[in-house]
Amino acid sequence: MTRKHVLVRVKDISRSYFENGKEFKALEHIQFDLYDQDFMCIVGPSGCGKSTLLRIIVGLDRPTSGEVLFEGKPIEAKNPQVAMVFQSFALFPWLTVEQNVEIGLEARHVPPDVRGQKAKKYIEAVGLTGFENAFPRELSGGMKQRVGLARALATDPLLLCMDEPFSSLDALTAQNLRDEILELWSDPDLPPRAVLMVTHSIEEAVYLADRVLVLSGRPGRQVAELEIDLPRPRNRREPEFYGWVDDIYSLIV
Amino acid sequence: MAGLRRRLWLLAGIALVAAIVVMIVAPPQAAEAGGLGLLSLYSLARMFAAYLIALVFAIAYGTTAATNKKAATVMLPLLDVLQSIPILAFFPAVLFFFVNTFNGSPIGLEISVVVLVFTSMAWNMAFGVYEAITTIPQDLEDAAAEFGVTGWLRFRRLMFPAAVPKLVYNSILSWTNGWFFLVASEVFTAFGRTYTRPGIGSFIAAAGIRGDSGSIALGLAALVVVVLAVDALVWRPLSGWADAFRLDVPRGEMVRAPRPYERLRWIPRFPGMWHRITRPVRPLLRVYDHASFRLEHAYTRHPTVPRTLRRVDLAMFLVVFVIVVGAGLVGLAGLFLHPPAEAGELPAAVVFSFARLLLAYGLALAWTIPVAAYVGRSAHAARIVTPVLEVFASVPATALLPVILGFAIAATARQELGLQLASVLIALFSMQWYLLFNLIGGVRSIPGDLSEAARVFGLRGLTYWRRVLLPAIVPSFLTGSITAWGAGWNALIVSEYFPSVQSTPLTGLGGLLDKATFLTGVTGDNQLLLFTIFTMIFVVFAMNKLLWHPLLKRAFLRYRVEAQ
Repeated sequence: MTRKHVLVRVKDISRSYFENGKEFKALEHIQFDLYDQDFMCIVGPSGCGKSTLLRIIVGLDRPTSGEVLFEGKPIEAKNPQVAMVFQSFALFPWLTVEQNVEIGLEARHVPPDVRGQKAKKYIEAVGLTGFENAFPRELSGGMKQRVGLARALATDPLLLCMDEPFSSLDALTAQNLRDEILELWSDPDLPPRAVLMVTHSIEEAVYLADRVLVLSGRPGRQVAELEIDLPRPRNRREPEFYGWVDDIYSLIV
Repeated sequence: MAGLRRRLWLLAGIALVAAIVVMIVAPPQAAEAGGLGLLSLYSLARMFAAYLIALVFAIAYGTTAATNKKAATVMLPLLDVLQSIPILAFFPAVLFFFVNTFNGSPIGLEISVVVLVFTSMAWNMAFGVYEAITTIPQDLEDAAAEFGVTGWLRFRRLMFPAAVPKLVYNSILSWTNGWFFLVASEVFTAFGRTYTRPGIGSFIAAAGIRGDSGSIALGLAALVVVVLAVDALVWRPLSGWADAFRLDVPRGEMVRAPRPYERLRWIPRFPGMWHRITRPVRPLLRVYDHASFRLEHAYTRHPTVPRTLRRVDLAMFLVVFVIVVGAGLVGLAGLFLHPPAEAGELPAAVVFSFARLLLAYGLALAWTIPVAAYVGRSAHAARIVTPVLEVFASVPATALLPVILGFAIAATARQELGLQLASVLIALFSMQWYLLFNLIGGVRSIPGDLSEAARVFGLRGLTYWRRVLLPAIVPSFLTGSITAWGAGWNALIVSEYFPSVQSTPLTGLGGLLDKATFLTGVTGDNQLLLFTIFTMIFVVFAMNKLLWHPLLKRAFLRYRVEAQ
């Protein structure tokens, strides 16, 4: 398969923490490319440094060695072309749904009326019309994560990063939201051009991703980079689906 | 809640009736009794002026310390010291400075009163802002960074809102504290002169000196009304407003729809009001926004800019540090090379003051723990008793001084003994409320399921106290104790010398301070003053660092009840 365009290049990243003079390796020699139109999942056991990896890729953390290039340039935290969805939602409790969605635009000095229009559009896209003036604590977990998603999409990102976005939700809500994300992803009019998602659930990765990066635990090492070529929509009960899940499972263990 | 407030007003009414009865029995003799409303307004204006300055200071100081690690290494210890300093001890110096600057005009006096009240409010608010900002959850910080929220927007959208709940909570404490010092500072004897400003505090003090119980009752009643009115009109609505900014809503608590601003209902509102009010400053904010944005860009684009700035930063820090440390060392050296004549009295003074405070603390614990256990566990009791306690607590100990003194002298055979009793009682009244309200909070915070588990397993009486109640209130007991002792040390200067009935102060640190400021001529005895202050700071600091903080650290590890 010929690839169009490399969006993110992760070049030989390692990350260590130092405590009382002792070195603690979180990540070792991670290297991969993320292409245009790619939906990639990073899977690994807990404590393998996958969230650290994501934080490095969006520029919230710095690697001990190696670098991340976004469209050929070193990444930085305020890169407006990267947006992030958090596991804990990370909504500002004192702002309304609309104000939360607008925050990235406000930071970019977008005029209020344009902000309002954009926010409305994405609030509608995630199905929260009517809740514009609600505060986060009045919403359920699933609704909060929809706000988080709308907030990320509203900045028109090229790359959408998600850190375990469904882990704080109950199983049913999580499944609904997964399907909605796939639906939004298949809409060519909506950003982003690539998605990078961290998860500890192998099934979730096989269900969503085009490609899966498998990490081993402590320190996080790259075990495999797999291409999931199952047709969409995917069925969890098919043997091929389970074949993939089992393959990845055996790689981690 | 509405019922509770109604009862509060009912009680205020009863207090007023009691005051009226006293006034009928002994009619007020004060000529200015009719103008008491105006006097209250004067006092209130001083309070608000001091509070606004403290607010601006707290936000600026707290934010700077929280966002600039290097600055914090100086700013935090400094705040710690400022918080432990007995504020009233510095009042003569402040008074001296401003009165001279303004050539003895009333403006100088007013400014010194406001400055004193400011110092009693500002530190704990600044600490609140610092604490709130440094405990913002990492994910919110990340979200702000990730979406490019920086500069002014970051302050407006992240740091200030996160600080609001703690700021409002600490403001209420500071406000109460402020009354204590306002009342004390409206009449002040220093450098052989008595300075008076018209206000509710000076009214009560003057009545006390005359022995005019009608006027004392009138003044106290007016004070209670003012304190409760401010509570109802300002602090309760503000607390409601602040709830919208809380990061942690305990599970099981009713989630009410937060609507910022709507809770200050007594402010007339019309559509677009806030918009219109903020319009004049908005261009300024935009200029600031723009400048900070450009600066950020400069920062990220030129790697040499931050390095140069960092160097300037460090240089300034070093200069300030050297000046502060140098001045401190020179001052200390001078002090210890030429100790004042009374230096030998210091150890005895420490022992006596400490003994009085310890006695007051013991008395306070003896009644507050049982009352807190009772009030905290029964909703019914809370509804009836809390308003009573709030009315009592609203009267600063300094305003009760004439009443306490009169009672103590009447109750004891010898005047010497009466003065000792009065001293302990004033310390008690300064300390007890902090303990009580912290303890009630502690008892209330025992989770429902823990109480139910205790009931299911039949824990009752002594076993219940030993296994559930006392361990659960340890953290709030310690926080309350720290605040109470702080208030106690601060009260020493008014509790160890009663100019109206005695000529030499009682033995104690407060007494020595009084001796240094009131009794020695026009300039005061600066040597003795500084020496005593240093001793007091040392004792307070030692107690905080060696006793309270280690205990608190342990208590939080072992006894904190997690919200489940």
